[in-house]
Amino acid sequence: MGMEIATRLSDQLARYIDLASDEAKLTAANVANIDTPGYRAVGMNFEAEMRRAVTDVDDNRPEQAVRVTDVDGLVARPDGNDVSMDREGLNMAQAQLEYKTGVSLLRIEYQRVMDAIHADSK
Amino acid sequence: MNLFGLMETSGSAMEAERMRAEVVAANMANTDTTRTAAGGPYRRQEVVFAADRDDPNFLNSMSDAASIQPTGVSMPALPAIDPLGSAAVAPGVRIAAVVQDPSPPLKRYDPGHPDADAQGYVSYPDINPITEMVDLMGATRAYGLNGSAVQAEKSMITSALEIART
Repeated sequence: MGMEIATRLSDQLARYIDLASDEAKLTAANVANIDTPGYRAVGMNFEAEMRRAVTDVDDNRPEQAVRVTDVDGLVARPDGNDVSMDREGLNMAQAQLEYKTGVSLLRIEYQRVMDAIHADSK
Repeated sequence: MNLFGLMETSGSAMEAERMRAEVVAANMANTDTTRTAAGGPYRRQEVVFAADRDDPNFLNSMSDAASIQPTGVSMPALPAIDPLGSAAVAPGVRIAAVVQDPSPPLKRYDPGHPDADAQGYVSYPDINPITEMVDLMGATRAYGLNGSAVQAEKSMITSALEIART
C-alpha cells in the first residue's frame, strides 16, 4: 500500500457529490421544461447509483454515467407534459442538501489527512 | 459534471419565461389595436416552448412546425415523442415559435370608427384578459421556480469552494 492522499472514503464521497449534482442537473432540466409540450420528466435512482458507485470505488473502476429514466406515476397535462412543480422543488432541495452533506464530510476527511501531514509540528 | 451548466439550463428557462411574459404584455397592450403593419386588427400571439435537446427528430418536427408560422393561421401540431428516446436529459429550453392565434377578430358595431367596414363593424383582436392573466401567472411562477433553482445551484457552487478552504 503506497502513500495516498485520497482515501477510500474521500473517493466514495466524491462519487456521492457527483451523484447529488447529477440529481440537481436532472431536476434543473425538468424545471426548465415545465411548460414544454410533450416533455416527460426524467429522474434517477439515487440509491442504486450510489450502490454501484461504491462497488466501482472498491474495484477501482472509473466513474460510470448515471442511468437516466423517465419518471413513472406522474400525471400528464393535456399537452403531454408531466413535470410536477412540487416534486421538482423537493428534489432540488434534497439534491442541494445531499451535495452540501457530501462537501462537509469531504472537508472533514481532508482535514484528517491534513492533521496527519502536520502531526509532527504539534 | 459542471455545476455552471445547471445555471445555464435554469437561465435558458428564465429567458424563455420572460419572453412569454413579454408576449402576454404585448397582447394586453394591444387589446384595442385595429391597425397593424400587416393590415387588419392585432392578432393574439402565443409562444411555443421546445426542449433544447440533441434529438434530430424532435428538432426537425419543431422547426417544421415553426416554418408554417409566418402565415399565422394554425398552431403547430405537438411533436410525437419517442418514449424510449425521451430519457435524454435536455440541456435547457428554448422558444420554438411565436404563433398567432387563428381565431377570427371580434366584430363590434361602431360606424363612426375610422376602421369600420362598409356595414359599420370594426374588427377588434380576440383577446381575453383572463386568459392572458392566467398565462402571465404561469410564466411568473415558472420564472420564480427557475430562479430558486439558480439560488440552489449558486449555494452548491459556493459550498464546493469551501472544500479547499482551511
